[in-house]
Amino acid sequence: MRKPKSKNAFSWKQAAGVTMMLAFLFFALLPIIWSFILALRPENRLFEPIWESPTALTLANIGKLADSGFPKALLNSFITASVSTALAVVIGVPGGFALAKGRSSRKFLASWALLLLRMAPPVGFVIPLFILYLNIGFLDTWWGLIGAYMVLTLPLVVWSSWTSLSQIPDELIEASLLDGATMGQTLRRVVIPAARPGLVATAVLAFLLSWNDFFFALIITRSDTVTAPVAIMNFVSYASVDWGSIAIASIVLTLPTVPVIVFANKYIVQSMGGAVKG
Amino acid sequence: MNQISGVQPVLQRSYRLMLLPAVIAVLVFAVLPLVGMFVLSFTGFDLVKGWDTGFTFDNFTKLASDKRFINSVWVMLALSVFGVIAQVIAGTLIAVGLEKIIPRWRHVRGFFVVPFVVPHVAVALVWLSLFTPTLSPINAFFDLFGITIPAFLTTRWGAISAIVIADTWASFPFVMLLILAALQGISTDLDEAASIDGATKMQVFWRITLPLLKPALLMVALFRFIETIKHFPLIYVMTNGGPGRATQATNYYAFIQTFQNSKVSYGAAIAVFLFIFAAIISFWVARMNARLSDA
Repeated sequence: MRKPKSKNAFSWKQAAGVTMMLAFLFFALLPIIWSFILALRPENRLFEPIWESPTALTLANIGKLADSGFPKALLNSFITASVSTALAVVIGVPGGFALAKGRSSRKFLASWALLLLRMAPPVGFVIPLFILYLNIGFLDTWWGLIGAYMVLTLPLVVWSSWTSLSQIPDELIEASLLDGATMGQTLRRVVIPAARPGLVATAVLAFLLSWNDFFFALIITRSDTVTAPVAIMNFVSYASVDWGSIAIASIVLTLPTVPVIVFANKYIVQSMGGAVKG
Repeated sequence: MNQISGVQPVLQRSYRLMLLPAVIAVLVFAVLPLVGMFVLSFTGFDLVKGWDTGFTFDNFTKLASDKRFINSVWVMLALSVFGVIAQVIAGTLIAVGLEKIIPRWRHVRGFFVVPFVVPHVAVALVWLSLFTPTLSPINAFFDLFGITIPAFLTTRWGAISAIVIADTWASFPFVMLLILAALQGISTDLDEAASIDGATKMQVFWRITLPLLKPALLMVALFRFIETIKHFPLIYVMTNGGPGRATQATNYYAFIQTFQNSKVSYGAAIAVFLFIFAAIISFWVARMNARLSDA
């Protein structure tokens, strides 16, 4: 008699666990599904519950978005995020390599400084940058924004290439040097290919940091170089909020971040958190 | 090996050469603005009145008696503490659930990562729509049963909860990913030994899994804590600091003083306060990280 009873109790717990996971899944997906509904609803049905007219859908918002200033803002976002990521990788990866494999007594200081730069509130960087840019005419320019994004990307790239390049075995580097390669050749031909997944994840994260940025762009750009996250706010005015355009613009803005989901594995985790062990 | 140690000094020099551009770039792009922040905070710069370059401590003494500043610190702490607690609990439950309750639903994992990659301005806008009573499907659904959901964004604690909920949605995947990584590092031998000895699943979770997760949990909580201090798009888009000053966190208050009231130096002093806060927490994280890497 006891055995079936305990089995029964067990499956109740299992059911409760599965229910909890489904509830979390609902929480995770509701805003996503809701964005798609908002994006596809015609303007005159927006304030009507979706179950009252589930087939009243339209693609009009896509055309409207294409005709607005949003595509140009997307281009601004793409250019500034790409250039700041490329610069950070070219400058930062050799630095991360040197920190991973070179000898230094100041490594703790370096790790604290890098962490602090990643954690420091952006408002502290943006106030002096704004005053500087105001005086040298860098406000609302690509280079001004790229300079600001280096604040985000560089510490991240140095920190996480340091983490991922520490895992390259010393023997590999020694063998390459014994074969007569220079340090630069060893980095390019041996170390970087061996650590490629981790470094790609680092570059993807650096790109996303700039791509998703709202604060720097809000302060530094005006009309010419406004980036997509700030341009979305053009659909919000005191008189009305254009929810359809906001939703479709949000979806377009999120699309380039999808590779991260594909990459959502240990490499991304390493780049984000450093060495977190159980 | 002898050859290697023979070239060591040369090697160290080339390592230093590789480090040099990064050091210079970090100094120019990141450290220099911070120096500017400190200089501004100890002088008097006003976008309207101009720059009084004489050294002064006024900005900091003013901070101590500024009620709006003190209010902003409490708001910041409320948003951070409630936000971090909610995210860590949700992220950990989901990570443990994915591993122990539904280990076979591999493809579900990706869905839980989605919110993490949505840009924060989009997060803020979609939650603003969900908290707009006339628009929200949640309100419409409960209306079917005659239940009226109160308008969150018009009350003090409602607005704080709304931001905490939106932030939890955007950030639980970060906690989940790091805890999943930590769980995979824990050997299953202990679990098995405990269940053979008659421990229930709950006991295994509370007595074995959770204590082993403690370092990872503390690290994740600190990472999230520092991120919640930097809240900007959520507040700017969802509440604009309101109702009243109910969600005007310190970071947001620095923005208002600098860019809306033109009091640049005063804003810089608030930024210095936040910077020192971040310095203490990052020192803690760096030390924990150094210990974990040595272990």
